[in-house]
Amino acid sequence: MIETVDLRRAFGGLVALDGVTVRVAEGERRAIIGPNGAGKTTLFNILTGELRPTSGRVRLAGEDVTGRRPHELARRGLARMYQRNELFDPLPARDNVALGVGAARGPYRPFTRPPAADVAAADALLEQVGLGDRVRVPARELSHGERRQLELALALARRPRVLLLDEPTAGMSPAETARITSLIASLERTLTIVVVEHDMDVVFRLAERVTVLHEGRVIADGTPAAVRADSQVNEVYLGKVVA
Amino acid sequence: MRGVALAACALLASAALVTFPVWSAGWESSRYATTILRDMLILAIFALSLDLLVGTAGLPSLGHAAFFGAGAYAAAIAMERAGSDDLLLALGAAVAVAALLALVIGSFSVRTSGIFFLMLTLAFAQIVFAAAFQATDLTGGSNGFAGVLRPTFLGLDFNGPEALYQLVATIFILVIVILWRIRSSAYGRALVGLRENERRMRALGYDTTRLKLSAFVLAGALAGLGGALSGFALRFVSTNDVSLGRSIEGFVAVLVGGSGSLVGPAIGAAVVLYIERVLSSAVPFSETVLGLVFIVFVLAARQGIVGIGRAAYGRVRR
Amino acid sequence: MSPDVAIQQALNGISFGALLFILAAGLSLIFGMMDVVNLAHGAFYMLGAYVTLTLVQRTGQFWPALVLAPLVVGLLGLVVEPLLLRRLRGRHLDQVLLTIGVSLVIADVIGLTFGREIRSIPLPAGLDRSIEIGGSDYPVYRLFVIASGVAMAAVLAAVHRRTQLGALIRAGVDDAPMLAALGVDIDRLFARTFAVGAALAGLAGVFAAPVFGIFPGMDVDALIYSLIVVVVGGLGTLTGAMVGAGLVGPADTFGKVLFPQFALALIFAIMAFVLLLRPTGLLGRVRPAR
Repeated sequence: MIETVDLRRAFGGLVALDGVTVRVAEGERRAIIGPNGAGKTTLFNILTGELRPTSGRVRLAGEDVTGRRPHELARRGLARMYQRNELFDPLPARDNVALGVGAARGPYRPFTRPPAADVAAADALLEQVGLGDRVRVPARELSHGERRQLELALALARRPRVLLLDEPTAGMSPAETARITSLIASLERTLTIVVVEHDMDVVFRLAERVTVLHEGRVIADGTPAAVRADSQVNEVYLGKVVA
Repeated sequence: MRGVALAACALLASAALVTFPVWSAGWESSRYATTILRDMLILAIFALSLDLLVGTAGLPSLGHAAFFGAGAYAAAIAMERAGSDDLLLALGAAVAVAALLALVIGSFSVRTSGIFFLMLTLAFAQIVFAAAFQATDLTGGSNGFAGVLRPTFLGLDFNGPEALYQLVATIFILVIVILWRIRSSAYGRALVGLRENERRMRALGYDTTRLKLSAFVLAGALAGLGGALSGFALRFVSTNDVSLGRSIEGFVAVLVGGSGSLVGPAIGAAVVLYIERVLSSAVPFSETVLGLVFIVFVLAARQGIVGIGRAAYGRVRR
Repeated sequence: MSPDVAIQQALNGISFGALLFILAAGLSLIFGMMDVVNLAHGAFYMLGAYVTLTLVQRTGQFWPALVLAPLVVGLLGLVVEPLLLRRLRGRHLDQVLLTIGVSLVIADVIGLTFGREIRSIPLPAGLDRSIEIGGSDYPVYRLFVIASGVAMAAVLAAVHRRTQLGALIRAGVDDAPMLAALGVDIDRLFARTFAVGAALAGLAGVFAAPVFGIFPGMDVDALIYSLIVVVVGGLGTLTGAMVGAGLVGPADTFGKVLFPQFALALIFAIMAFVLLLRPTGLLGRVRPAR
């Protein structure tokens, strides 16, 4: 569904990605882990078109989309939950999501109100992520956990085929973490999900396969059990976090 | 029920505004007041069009006079060259030329944002100023374009001061209605989204560059409309109409009145025009007053008069 | 264009570039440190020119203006920054808007004090001659402007390389917590940066006064030219101001000779072209949008 071929990206002299090839099948749940600076966010930024790779290709549903801009990728079914929330702060939760729902129709309707169906769809999504009773609250007045839930609702608003989650549980309490994890786990099985996460419990709960990045390279790729058993992975990463 | 009441109020207010010369006819200063009100409304159209960029879409343009002036010149020149005083010809030329110019300037400027956008729009507007200054055959250069015709439409003659005022007031109301519809439309919401978080808008699949450009062209076209009216009103178009001073006037009106609303820029336009017309005939330092008022509002009341009003209303209700 | 005219115009272009450099360096300095585009920069330049005018009218002396005008303008900057800009620290766009108000007030007060006519002052004694270059006479004063521009570039480059202020600018350190962590007194640093930037505008006003005249509206001209220079060269770096001024000065001068109708169009075309290729200018630092 989404794949990269020998992706490289350098920032000046610093090589952030050094030949990364990852292939995620349709409907797969994939986790990408690795220590800080391993290149996870760079990889995400390239996948969403916010960054161009120095070399290598990106394919989405079989189509070469290397270098396409973010909105073109979004229109092809790619969505992203940001690590740091990217919300429309003064707008109510409902209007936040409605902007996403209405995006498919395009904005060039200067004289017609957004159809009621958009609002209904937005409310349904908010219900789904557990914000059903907060639809009128401006995004900036929501708690951190609720803002993460809204961020997820925004990512889902265009009914994407591929969902990229950048540390979905960042900064959350254990209860909030458990809630959003089961929320993600309950998403439709046809949705392809790629998640970057530091919390190994979350990773092992969500992912069917795990890719381990280290210093811009893939050092392991396999089932959670296999990756957990991999000695190199334990050395560079898991050993420090889990043990 | 509430909607009907509101609509009735709006209709009544519009009627009162358009018929001002009629019901104020008994006043001693009716003629003067009509002229001042006319020019306030023209400045308000300009400020409202600018606020579509500044307040709604979050694009701080400091070169908006380029479109106001382009519209003013285009209407005046079109009528002169065609030897016709047709209103639609004049307004059509103004809107078309202003929109086209906005398309050109916008395609460069909207690639940036914030301070860079402000600098670029300012610099590009200055080209237009220079072009107006140098193209003496078309614009009259530094002497200005004098003797602009006043238009006619379907047998209506807008030559008299009252008729012209009514034309301006009608178009002002039209602009308010257009902007009001835009604000509650999907398009208006998308512009607010642009202001609040461009990155997220892109991630949602909005082509933000095109969206910004469309707002820039729309705002330019409306400013051009205001410019055409200014030409009719003063029977004169000059490089002042494309100058940085005019752009600043609009910006001051938007900020003093309160950006991001329909009432704010109109109130701000009234304040600016009061200082520039009424106060300036009493004291020589009106420009300094304008600068100081602007400084005070930026420092202490960034939400403008509308913001002050809202805060006061909020306190009363609580 | 005959060779001697070409040489003359080249020198004119370089001297205009030197003047633009001094002007734009101040704008760029303030931006580099504070992330504020000072739109009162043209008004500061205008004030420098009017201080020169006053001095020449009162005493007949030009030379003291080279010290006095930057001093007066710098002191004004030293008042404006703490009194106004400091209250909006961190809100860069609002700070920029504030400087519009400042420029309105300065320009109007100057107009009220000196009247709205075009004034001129004679070339300073000692430099009111011409010397022969390439077969024709060339005014010495313009050569003096070139030399001054080069000298200023050398001084600023030294400041840039050797001082703490320079180190901070080069590092692109501009957020308050970071500066505080480095043990810098931000209030003092910003006030002084703003004062020095303003003083540079005032100095450019002195150099320009005998050549370009002194008139209301000169502030807008100067502001636009300095903006174009920094847009072309790149905001916030000294070399950016140098490159921008070096391109815009000669381009504008030759443009005015070769295509008098399209002189401004030429430099704007350069600006547009540069922006298409590099939205942050030729040597611009990449900065976040706001």
